[in-house]
This record gives sequence, C-alpha cells and structure tokens, in this order.
Amino acid sequence: MEFTLLWAALTGVAGLWIGTRLWTESRDESPAESIFDSLLLAAGVGLVGGRVVAMLAQGLNPITNIGDLLIVRGGVSTVAATVFAVGALFLTSGRQMKVLDLAAPAVLLGLAGWHLGCLWRGACLGTASDLPWAWAEAGSSITRHPVEIYAAIGLALGAIVVSRLPPRIGLRSGTAFALASGIRLATEPFRLSVTGGPVWWYAAGVVLGLAWLVVAGVSNRHPT
Amino acid sequence: MKRLILVLALALSACSSPALVGQDLPDLPPITGQELDVMLQRSGNPSVVNVWASWCGPCRAEAPLLTAALAEYGDRVDFIGIDVQDSQADAKNFIASFELDFTHYFDRDRSVPEFYGGFGTPMTFFFDRTGTLVDTHLGVIDERSLALGIDEIVSR
Repeated sequence: MEFTLLWAALTGVAGLWIGTRLWTESRDESPAESIFDSLLLAAGVGLVGGRVVAMLAQGLNPITNIGDLLIVRGGVSTVAATVFAVGALFLTSGRQMKVLDLAAPAVLLGLAGWHLGCLWRGACLGTASDLPWAWAEAGSSITRHPVEIYAAIGLALGAIVVSRLPPRIGLRSGTAFALASGIRLATEPFRLSVTGGPVWWYAAGVVLGLAWLVVAGVSNRHPT
Repeated sequence: MKRLILVLALALSACSSPALVGQDLPDLPPITGQELDVMLQRSGNPSVVNVWASWCGPCRAEAPLLTAALAEYGDRVDFIGIDVQDSQADAKNFIASFELDFTHYFDRDRSVPEFYGGFGTPMTFFFDRTGTLVDTHLGVIDERSLALGIDEIVSR
C-alpha cells in the first residue's frame, strides 16, 4: 500500500473514531470503544473481501498471487467490500440491529474521512468545470470538479442528519445505507472513470436502504 | 464452516493462472528513450506509455485496468508498453496472459524510464499530441489517476 493511500485510510479511521466518540459515548449498552473496534475489524474484512473479489474479476488467482492482496491500488470491489464489511459488523455485534444503528453515523463520518483523504492522495478531481471552486492539477490549466470533496461534504452532512434521527430499530442504519449509496450515485457523473463505475450498484444500494427502512418501520410498528 | 472454506479454496484454485500462450507472438522490438521520444513527437496522438515487467507483481495488478482503458480510449489515445529488465519469453507470456493488445517495446537496460525520469516499476507516462510529457505516475496506477491522466492529454 502506498503511503498516500495509507494516509487516506487513516483519515477514514479518524472519521470513524470521532464519529464513535461523538455519537455513541452516552449509550451505556454499547460503549464507544467496542463499537470502534468492531468498525475497524469490519473495515479490514471489507477491504480484504473487496480486494479478493476485484482480483477474481480481473482474472487473478488470489491463492497463487497472495502477495497481490496487498496491492490495494490495483482495485477493490466497492460492492463486495460493502457486503463483507456490513456482514462482519453484523456478526461481531452479536447480530444486533441496534449496534448497526449506533454505528451508522460514525460509518458515514469514516467514509467522509476516506473521501477527504483524496487531499493526501492527490486524487480529488473529476470532470472539467468552470465553477469558481473548481481547481486544476499541478501544471494543468484545466480546472475540475473536486468530486471527492463533494462526496466528503455530503457524507459528513449525512452523518449529522443520521445522528439526529430517533433511536428506532433500523432507522439510522437504513438511512445511512441509502444516503451513502445515494451520495456516491449523485457524485458519479462528476467522476472520471475507465470502466464506467458501478452506477447501477449504487442505485441498488439506495433501493436496499429504503427497503431496509420499510422493513424496520413495519417491525417497529409490530414489535415481536 | 470447514467444508465452506474447503469449497472456497477449491473454487479459487480452479481460477488458475493462464497457460503460457505467448510464444507465438513475435519478439518485442528494442527501443531507447531517445528513439521513443522522437516517435512520440511524430505520432500526432496523445500517448500513454506504461513501463512494466513480467516479474513485477504490481504490474500484474494494473494490467487488467490497462486492457480496459485500451478498450475505452484506444481510438483516441496511443497505448505503448515498455518492458524493462525482462526476457522476451516471459514478456510475451505476460502480454498474452493479460491480452495487452497494444504496441510493446523491449528495454532491457531501462533506457526509457531513465530518459524521462522516475524510478521503480511500474510507472506510467502521459504525453500530449506534441509528444510533451504531461504527467508521470510512479507505482501502480489506479482507475481514477489513469482516467484523469488520459483526460488531461486528450483535452489539450
């Protein structure tokens, strides 16, 4: 892993840490420390799972090329990483939805930190733009959308919104999932891409988050 | 759980590395940094020059992205591979394995990277249509950086 990527990852971890401190400390049943540990583990599982799936998709055998797992810059499948991370968090939390709800705003802030890490990676820019806040690469005259900053701001605002939602089972986690997918979907047109980006997966993520909210709403109305 | 792990391991093993299929390809022509520079100035097209080697793990990791980029931008940008410190046989197998269907040159002595500056393998150079070096990316290139580099040289 290159150091710039490591700095971006650390910015994401800082976001997670701040989020857990801000929004879970007051709840005795799940202390911030244990949630932060679970989130770190989930992020690690997501990263490895996403990298393995990306390697398989690229035709690289993860067993015979085990060292390539560390070449994160070679690609990580966003969808697989999300599935692995959410699954790991759910399992390590004792399959309790309320832990996912407690962690939800911190996850959004962590994702915001990861996107903000583009500043260390030199990878904030997207499509060309003449807007006053657009900026150019060093040595270039073409100003561009700072698309990763857009995503970071959207996710940070989303974290604040989610933290203020009432503590009903599934409400915060479902909203966070829909918001995270929606913000990626909304910023995708400003990104430059070789393969087109997983736009349909982001749209599916929004639908899944909304479905999650509907199911949670029904469960809250008819508690078992 | 053990059964699941066993099944997964077997499934992954089945995705074995591609067979050695490159021996039918012609030998890669040799090139020096100076010769490449003249060629780029005369080409009239923006160019992406990727420095790679068959023994380089990170090159393996970025190869599928280059194949995808060729499919997407091949009509607007020239892609050129520079194989360094390698053998012809290994180089040809690498090209065939990853279907890197663009022009490659053989540079045993690393003349090209030394001419343009930069260290390590892989690295990627972006040239505009006049052959001027616009950007250099050291190490594995990710999708965003590759797309940005290409957009810069195409837009100039």
